[in-house]
Amino acid sequence: MHGGGVAAAMAALALARAFGRLGVELLWVDTGDGPSAHTALTAPPDLATFHRLLGLDDRALTRGAAATFNMGQQFAGWGGDDSAFLHAYGDAGTPFASLPFLQHWTRARHAGLGVGLEDFCLAAAAAKQGRTGGLADSATRQSVKTGWHVDAAAYARLLRVGCVAAGVRIIKGQSVRPIPSDDAARLDAVGVDGETIAADLFVDTRGTLIDLLDNDEMVPYASPCDRLLRASLAPFDPLPLYSRVAAHGAGWTALTPLADRTAVAFHYDSACLSDDEARTALGAMTGRPVHDAAEMVEGGDRLRPWIGNVIALGGAAGTPPPLDGAELLLLQLGVAQLVLLWPLDRGAMPEADIYNGELNGSRARVKDFTAQHFRLNGRADAFWSAARARPISDELAAKIELFSARGMFAHFGHEAHVEDGWALCMAGHAIVPRGFDPQILSVEEPALMREFQRQLGAVAADVRAMESHAEALVRARG
Amino acid sequence: MGRRFDLVIVGGGTAGWMCAAACAAKLDRSRFRIRLIESEEIGTVGVGEATLPQMKDFNDFLGLDEVEFMQATQASFKLGIEFVNWGREGDRYIHPFGTFGRPIGEADFFSYWVRAHHNGTAAPLSDYCFPIVAARQNHFMLPTGKADDVRNAFAYAYHLDAFLYARYLRRWAEERGIERVEGRIVDVERDTESGRVAAVTLQSDARIEGDMFVDCSGFRSLLLGQALGVELEEWTHWLPCDRAVAVPSVRSTDFTPYTRSTRRKAGWQWRIPLQHRTGNGYVYASQYISDDEAAAALLSSLDGEALAEPRVLRFTAGKRRYAWAQNVVGMGLAGGFLEPLESTSIYLVQMAIMHMLTLLPSGRTIDPALPNEFNRVMDVEYDRIRDFLILHYVANDPAAPLWQQVTAMDIPQSLTAKIERFRNRAYVEAYRDGLFGPPSWQAVFVGQGIMPAAADRLADAMPDAVLADRLGKLAQTIERGAATAPLHADFVARYCPAPLP
Repeated sequence: MHGGGVAAAMAALALARAFGRLGVELLWVDTGDGPSAHTALTAPPDLATFHRLLGLDDRALTRGAAATFNMGQQFAGWGGDDSAFLHAYGDAGTPFASLPFLQHWTRARHAGLGVGLEDFCLAAAAAKQGRTGGLADSATRQSVKTGWHVDAAAYARLLRVGCVAAGVRIIKGQSVRPIPSDDAARLDAVGVDGETIAADLFVDTRGTLIDLLDNDEMVPYASPCDRLLRASLAPFDPLPLYSRVAAHGAGWTALTPLADRTAVAFHYDSACLSDDEARTALGAMTGRPVHDAAEMVEGGDRLRPWIGNVIALGGAAGTPPPLDGAELLLLQLGVAQLVLLWPLDRGAMPEADIYNGELNGSRARVKDFTAQHFRLNGRADAFWSAARARPISDELAAKIELFSARGMFAHFGHEAHVEDGWALCMAGHAIVPRGFDPQILSVEEPALMREFQRQLGAVAADVRAMESHAEALVRARG
Repeated sequence: MGRRFDLVIVGGGTAGWMCAAACAAKLDRSRFRIRLIESEEIGTVGVGEATLPQMKDFNDFLGLDEVEFMQATQASFKLGIEFVNWGREGDRYIHPFGTFGRPIGEADFFSYWVRAHHNGTAAPLSDYCFPIVAARQNHFMLPTGKADDVRNAFAYAYHLDAFLYARYLRRWAEERGIERVEGRIVDVERDTESGRVAAVTLQSDARIEGDMFVDCSGFRSLLLGQALGVELEEWTHWLPCDRAVAVPSVRSTDFTPYTRSTRRKAGWQWRIPLQHRTGNGYVYASQYISDDEAAAALLSSLDGEALAEPRVLRFTAGKRRYAWAQNVVGMGLAGGFLEPLESTSIYLVQMAIMHMLTLLPSGRTIDPALPNEFNRVMDVEYDRIRDFLILHYVANDPAAPLWQQVTAMDIPQSLTAKIERFRNRAYVEAYRDGLFGPPSWQAVFVGQGIMPAAADRLADAMPDAVLADRLGKLAQTIERGAATAPLHADFVARYCPAPLP
């Protein structure tokens, strides 16, 4: 294990818990890289499940990482006006008359209905009203999932504590030198501050080990914003259940609620905004001057994250998309896949090929999800017009086209987001499908209106029965 | 209310009447006019058909009564397919409609089995599969519906007379307002501007217009292939069988709850037990055997007296480049053909129907996103089945020219990787859409002698003795469970006895 921060700690912990009992010895050469100051991370609901495997419980997260519950992301100002929508983690309406809710909604929009899709979504309604938690007896019967917002540095520390408990040996390593095999197809060892450490398998979250073996061109990938400034604000009161991604003229600002502060990430394109202008803008927002140098956001993905006996994870594998909790999502997918494909043999590792196929597939779908926001934005600024014109994959083009035509979803391999998540975003970005399933017309209009009223009432009733964010956090802290 | 949407189904075989019945079940007749054109003069290809468990979903979707349906089609139950002489002469294995084992630890069951197999402490894989063990005893029962019961860990399909199924669905659909038009199509008229099919003309000079046409005309592919010129993508270089000779025989005492496929010199032979007779056929590559020789080989291997003259069918493996072009959707043989080695024909018709219904245009104008999606998902279905069929061919001893050819041929890259990955570490990709799931691949790999060197290392965490104990108990539970099920023949006689034809 080579690297630092969240990625190295998460990988070490997962591997130690899965394979420590099989006699696998884990050594983590901690390079000391950590998250930048002020960084918060968004953990989508899948990660909450993954935490069980890592032995991280609600109590540890809320007490140790300033965690708050995450029910979705709000996108504000992406349509060119001051409107906002919520990508919530839950069902977008309840199926009716054996047909998907979205079809009924589309028909009703064509007939002049003004109610948005997210108003029929319990998770969205609850998040907006600061309510969360499970229901014993739900009127909507909709699924509501939650993830987390965490302080990145504290989260990394929690994972590190877990590593120690799980028997990972951790040494500090400032200068780490890869020592390749004679044929340069794999690594034999690493030199750490003068000492040579041999191993069968290397996990690299920094990238300097795999670089030695990697002769591929990087697969180009870049966020539309090449600069990032971070800051913190006082915590919101009450604490929101979602992060907010607000578009500005040359990028966007992400506000992530933590228990003890609000993390601010100001993303911008240096072609549209100078670093000084950005610092001024962020300073005006936070009420205190900003002097930090901007982080450069460089793009590119490794064609093969697993080469020989070296696996790149986290930033070493590629640049995660800048939204939608993609950073932790991709890291988790990479770690989980490595556990599933743990090599059988220290020699040839044919698992690499499967791993690379799986990860590239997942990465493509995760990127598509974020790319939709840029493609579908409705702003007139030069930055946003350029973002709209960025090329998209054939798969995303097919998804947008089918949704726009019919309110349906084209499923490809390795989908990482659920249909209703896509629906809330596409509808949020103001797509009303052009057509709908004609079979929907067998439901008479008055019956449909009654059903809509019933569903809105059920959403309201369920929201009332939920607990507040503060109550949920008190319970989590135990 | 505007004019009704006019849907015209061309051809009344199994595909045509399945489509008509699904439209009858799903489409509001005040908005959709549905007609089916068929000619009494044109026979259908219907031979004894074996199906997949998805067919039960289709029947449930229509709301058919299972007992009535089985009586009307002389149907029997099917727990899987037995493959005889595949791999090596004398071998036999069953590809079941169910999973192997049940969860016994944090790794998947198959990984534990591979480990125990290498330790020499595992019974054959089939002993851990309820539908296989029941099938071997000629036993059958319906799933118990109890979640933790091994006698619930399977699905079932049917053997049926496809001709009778079409007839049954015809009555069912006509009772629900589907209009049947008798007549032979002599002309297909296309709109000169758009290229769409505007109407078909019958021998009687009747002209039938439609907004959309479903081509169920069989191999002729009257609309999709002939009128619109959508070409056939041929897969004969991978699937060289191009003919079948079929004959029914008297029902034998061996009333199996499974289909049998026996590998032969120039292809393979099917055996499908129905209530009133047994369906048999020899699928072969005509370059390696003559029609007469194939018919003779078939007749000499029946386990009951032949009830008719053998009938030869010709086909080409492949699919139409687009299953939906303009305003025509091709289904069944009009859309493509894959040999019935894994009983996928009716499944493919069913998938085409269900996808068409969810993507049905809301008016005369067809948004191009709809056919694009339809063609994409049908391509996925075809490609997956194709690879699975080819797998059956490549893993065999090459004792005859056909088998020399197919075991030495270049296979799709997608399949090469699948085989390698299974050999290396028992890896089978699980995908969301389309056939076949991991248990199917495991059954055929292991059945035809492709064994994994090792499996998921998470399975190594269980102590040997615990693993051996859990496997032993599971096999015993399955054996006992299967023994409690009645004989298939008795079950059918009690549950759904069909009248003598």
